[in-house]
Amino acid sequence: MKNASNKYLTVALLIGIAFHGTSIFFTLETTYDALIHLFFADHYSGSWFEPWNYKWYTGFTVMSYPPLVHQSIAALSFIGGLKFGMFTIALIGIILFITGVYRFSLLITSNRTVAGYASVLAVFSSSFVETLHIFGQLPSIIGISVLMHALPEIYLWLKTGKWRYLATSLSLISVTVTSHHVTPIFGMVFFIFPLIGMVIMDDAREKVQTIKEITIKVFMSSFFKLFKRIISFGMLSLTIIIGCILPYWINSKNNPITQVPIPHGSRDNFLEITSSGLVFFLIPWGVLLVLLPYIFYRYYSKRYLFFGLSITILFILGTGGTTPIPRMVLGETAFNILTLDRFTLWASIMSLPLFGEFAYRFVEGDLKTLIQDRYGAIFHRLSGGILAGLFLFMTIFTMSLGYFKPSQPQKIKMLPIVNFLNQDQHDQWRYMTLGFGDQMAWLSAQTNALSVDGNYHSARRLPELTTRPIERLENSKFKGVEGIGSLQQFLTTPEKYNLKYIFSNDKFYDPILYFCGWQRLRQLENGIMVWEKLNVPPLSSILPKEDVGTWQKILWGTVPFLTVIIAFILNVQFLLVHTLKTRITADPLYMKFKNNYSKFSKGLLKASHIWSIILAVIVGYGIYIFYIKNESHHSPENAILAYYDALDFKGFEKAHSLINPESDLTIAQYMLEVSVTDGLLSSYAKLDAISTEIISNTDSLASVKVFTDWITPLEKIKQTDYKKLVKLNGKWYLQPDDINIDLPPDQLYSDNLTKYFNQGRRRITTEQTHHEDVLKQPVLEILDAKLVKYKNSYAIVGEIQNIDNVPSDVVLKGTLYNDENKKLATYNAKHHIKHKLLPKEVSSFRINFEGIAWSKTNDSIPKTFNPDEFTPIELEEQPTKFNLQAAGNISGSDLFKNTAVSVTKKDKDYLFGNIINTGTEEVTIPQLLVSYYDADKKLKWVDHLFIEEGVRQQRQQNFKYKMIDTSPIETISEDMSNCYVNGLPNEDISDKIVADRIVNHNNTEHQQIIHGEYNFIKLEVNTYIGNPN
Amino acid sequence: MIKSIYISLFVFILICLVSIQTKSLEDSYVLKSNKSEFIAGEHVQLEFGYNTDSDVMLYCSNSYGSILLDPEISAKILKFNIPDSISKKSGVLNWKLIAKTNNLQGSINVKPKPSIKSLESYLGPPSIEAGGTDYTMLVVIPTDDLDNPMADSTKVQIKHQFLNNEISDTVSTLHGFTYKTINSYKESGRILISSECLDLNSKEYDVNVMPAIPTNFTIKAERIHNYADGNQITTFKTSQIIDRFNNVVSDGTFVTFFITDQNGNKTQTYGSTINGIATAKMLHPDHEEQWSVKAYIEGMANSETITLGFKQAISNFEAALSDDNRTITVGPLQSFMKQRVPDGLFITLSIYKNKVLVNEIQEQSYNGMANFYLSEDEYSNGSYHLEIETAGLSKTLTNITYE
Repeated sequence: MKNASNKYLTVALLIGIAFHGTSIFFTLETTYDALIHLFFADHYSGSWFEPWNYKWYTGFTVMSYPPLVHQSIAALSFIGGLKFGMFTIALIGIILFITGVYRFSLLITSNRTVAGYASVLAVFSSSFVETLHIFGQLPSIIGISVLMHALPEIYLWLKTGKWRYLATSLSLISVTVTSHHVTPIFGMVFFIFPLIGMVIMDDAREKVQTIKEITIKVFMSSFFKLFKRIISFGMLSLTIIIGCILPYWINSKNNPITQVPIPHGSRDNFLEITSSGLVFFLIPWGVLLVLLPYIFYRYYSKRYLFFGLSITILFILGTGGTTPIPRMVLGETAFNILTLDRFTLWASIMSLPLFGEFAYRFVEGDLKTLIQDRYGAIFHRLSGGILAGLFLFMTIFTMSLGYFKPSQPQKIKMLPIVNFLNQDQHDQWRYMTLGFGDQMAWLSAQTNALSVDGNYHSARRLPELTTRPIERLENSKFKGVEGIGSLQQFLTTPEKYNLKYIFSNDKFYDPILYFCGWQRLRQLENGIMVWEKLNVPPLSSILPKEDVGTWQKILWGTVPFLTVIIAFILNVQFLLVHTLKTRITADPLYMKFKNNYSKFSKGLLKASHIWSIILAVIVGYGIYIFYIKNESHHSPENAILAYYDALDFKGFEKAHSLINPESDLTIAQYMLEVSVTDGLLSSYAKLDAISTEIISNTDSLASVKVFTDWITPLEKIKQTDYKKLVKLNGKWYLQPDDINIDLPPDQLYSDNLTKYFNQGRRRITTEQTHHEDVLKQPVLEILDAKLVKYKNSYAIVGEIQNIDNVPSDVVLKGTLYNDENKKLATYNAKHHIKHKLLPKEVSSFRINFEGIAWSKTNDSIPKTFNPDEFTPIELEEQPTKFNLQAAGNISGSDLFKNTAVSVTKKDKDYLFGNIINTGTEEVTIPQLLVSYYDADKKLKWVDHLFIEEGVRQQRQQNFKYKMIDTSPIETISEDMSNCYVNGLPNEDISDKIVADRIVNHNNTEHQQIIHGEYNFIKLEVNTYIGNPN
Repeated sequence: MIKSIYISLFVFILICLVSIQTKSLEDSYVLKSNKSEFIAGEHVQLEFGYNTDSDVMLYCSNSYGSILLDPEISAKILKFNIPDSISKKSGVLNWKLIAKTNNLQGSINVKPKPSIKSLESYLGPPSIEAGGTDYTMLVVIPTDDLDNPMADSTKVQIKHQFLNNEISDTVSTLHGFTYKTINSYKESGRILISSECLDLNSKEYDVNVMPAIPTNFTIKAERIHNYADGNQITTFKTSQIIDRFNNVVSDGTFVTFFITDQNGNKTQTYGSTINGIATAKMLHPDHEEQWSVKAYIEGMANSETITLGFKQAISNFEAALSDDNRTITVGPLQSFMKQRVPDGLFITLSIYKNKVLVNEIQEQSYNGMANFYLSEDEYSNGSYHLEIETAGLSKTLTNITYE
């Protein structure tokens, strides 16, 4: 018996490999982190000893993450590719975890059967399933597993003082640290410290007869006896933690994380944000929650006392922002940098030995006897069934979470994108992805092209990124104003980053791309839309990098594998002996401290029952609240909330089910009505906040005022709707809204358009474009430009005309100087301009000088979302001059101009009017550019209005525009001598081409307004066509 | 006395030294080759005679680069073979003998081959404006087969064709190249350009001559009828817009039409030209109106103002209240032939309570009718004053009371 293989462990390994080993192929690639590790692995496979990576964030160093796992995947990728490497490492991680739990449990409980139970339970433990299959944290899993393997060795070193054990324990610690840096640091605190306490207890126990006799005095004497071993182990492991990944620590010191903290769900208040509570508390704890009294009772027994303290701290830290304690314990900085879910993970792992112990006692031990004696065998079976059911339910629920609530967009075929980047020197520019989720890392791993964005936020370097709490630009829509604001800065001044191509997998971003001057290139065969920006210079052939010493590179490239090799050599003997049973070995020392599994505490059983009842009540109440909140017909508010929620997620069938069934609005008619409404609000808005106010409520009728806040890529929209509801058969329904019933006059009509096509390279060649194929840049003329100050922010306003004979894309770049010609700020025109101009077309423009928002980390970040939030740049000196550079490039796209604008009414605050679409394209988002003039018809300011609804062909859409207030606008400079077009002085060009310009030509056509400060305005229309025919 | 002896001794020694040195200079290395002009591509060899020390190198430098050469030694002759890569470039080739004691130096003139291989030419800008002032420039570099520019004063013919003109100009190269500016003509179109040198012809280049800035034009309006029905569409058209040389402006030229109504409110509609004619459209007003329309190409040209009258299409309408006063039925709304107005005419209901505007509701006509419902929830007890407005007409219903 003694030397037989532990059958439970064998079963656990077989099931674990079969279960996880097959399912990782369906889950791992859609997890949050796995593909990031794959990207790092790709880096090592290409340049093992060169830590600088150009592909992300305009360059970053991979010395910002411990390399072992990445290097292992990279090494394996030479055999079977990157994904082969990743899955192999995941399998190794699974084996290490199961065996690690077994060894840790054996150490704690000194009972092979109990440890076997624990290893079986570990296979299905919901925290492990979540970490592997939802989060994909491979280094973390390897780290904690190897740490568990190290614990028995540490125990034996401390207890026996045999040097062999010191060597094995340190070798395992070094493997841990090279795979994950946080694990050994916190592992030291939460696993090794209590372990030391347990060793001292055991040592003290040997001096006295019973455990009760251990007094503080005895304990202290044991402590001093073992002190040398403890200290030597502590110092050496600290040296190893620092030494093995020394370049990492040097890098952290040189590039401290001075970023604005990124919000993480594990810091939320779990009672408020229940989804975070589910993912970061309920799932990792799972069925262990029921066993909490048992776990705490056992860990607070004298021998495990220090584990008791440790798990208590872990439990509390794991509750995130639910209580203020974690914030107080960790301090503000650590609280905001650490992801607190790891504490829960460790607590749940720490609980596994006792979970195994409980299972053992419940299935075949004293607990079974106790329950059967007290409540009968049926109750025992029933409660066993319930517990097992709960346990399996949590496992399956966790596994399926990624299926039912995908954290990632659908899998994207990368090959067309990779091919696109390889073609035609497209990789000479940087690119960016939008709406790819973590798959962007997989794209980066496959292409040589460089991205502005990245997926490892600790390595961000551009202040535009580090000053904002966003992980990636890629998913900026989920990050509110900070996200979209950051994205807008990249889209407005892409030439700063040599950013020319954007791959968009989410049409949400289309409007902002268009209004920032980007144009659609084409749709790839995988459905990804490619957007490009003109006038962006290619990357220079030499890019900056931060180099490190050669010794660091060699250390980084060799030490991780060396630690594995050394650990293997040192531990291989144990491994072989124990698995192959080549000879009979003495039991390790900790096996002496057996627990007594004969007398289960009755008080504990009672407490467990009471706790279970409390839990059941809480769960029941939670489900009831959930039902009340989600039963859409329960009250008028519920119906409204459900209706808007359905609209937000485009669940039109659900929305229709909330419409009064007696209103004769068929689902077909409803869907038709939905399909013909387009626009910013109906196609590009995300519901941010909703509140309702009951105006009147009778038994069967209710009028509700609905206040909604919508996030769109362009700006935040606040809406107030009035909804009427009726109650039929005890259920509340909404009355349908009226629709636009305007009949356009023509059934079929024709329209003539001039279309343009640029051949590009006329000869099919990989050479640089032949000089005769290079088109002349269209000539523009800056008609008017002035530096103005309005409400403490500076702007350049003016008018620009395309005076060439071909359509032009316009890029305007303004720079401000002070009297000493010191450059103060530079920025491009964002959406206060028509970026595409037909020959002779004029556009008003305004260049805002936008600062990097909330650049001071102590600036309060607004809680509410407003993508159009504008942070005026802080200028230390007064700008007095400006330089304006206009660049024209021929572009044949987005030249729809058939939108008329008409003023119908005006008062002192508002302007009312219509937008009329007379063309053949449906206008998705009309934008009005409004220029203000004073009494002398001098341009003072340019404003804009995005109209929330689209305009269909031959129909009109009315608008209500709130004019700017009467704050004075100060004109600082009207000197146009520093205006340049395509690099040539503006004046020379205008003198040459339009020598006899009629100045102030259509001044008489400005619209007179009733306004305290300004006398005239001019309206222009810019239209975004979402679905060009 | 002694001093003067010293001085003269010193001078003597100095003279001796100098003369020895001069002597050894003249004696040590002598340039044997006497040819100092070569044609590019010829083999260039420099020969030096020497006395004692053969440990020398030759430094050569020309426009292509510099090189250090080791000699071939035979019978007191140092032979330096200048490699092809250097000797095939035309121009001055400087050489310098690097020895311990003296440094002979000189230069060789390498002339380009007399036969031509290719014409390297550059043309820009690729498009110019009609009218004769704007021009494009062709730069031609005739080269031999070793890519050396031909000798100066080589004649080059620069030819171009435009409409019926075919013109050839002869220019000579200077500093290896020549150029010619070609001015545009009054007409727009395309100039084809080529060049010829020593019977070698270049490929064809072209330059587009674009129309100059537009001149004033006229506009007209086309419409189905002149009633203000708020539904039909009026089309505005310009005359064919031309520049001052009678060229039709390029397609896509942007024209803005400003419409001013009787109240001074502005409407803008836009068109771009095709074959010089720009077309823009606008919906009819829904009430009697007089439009003044003027079109602009900003800063360059404009039309005269035309006026356009719209007659009232709906002469009158009915508004009726239901029994409980809560439903207001407007209509039938009849157009100029007593037909029901097309769907979508806006009807505005303004609701006043105690002379204060409480709400404004807008409905669209459907089959010439529109219904407003004032629910009890929103309009509680009291006396209301209702104003209904459509097609520039208005009706009021006073003292509507709800109990």
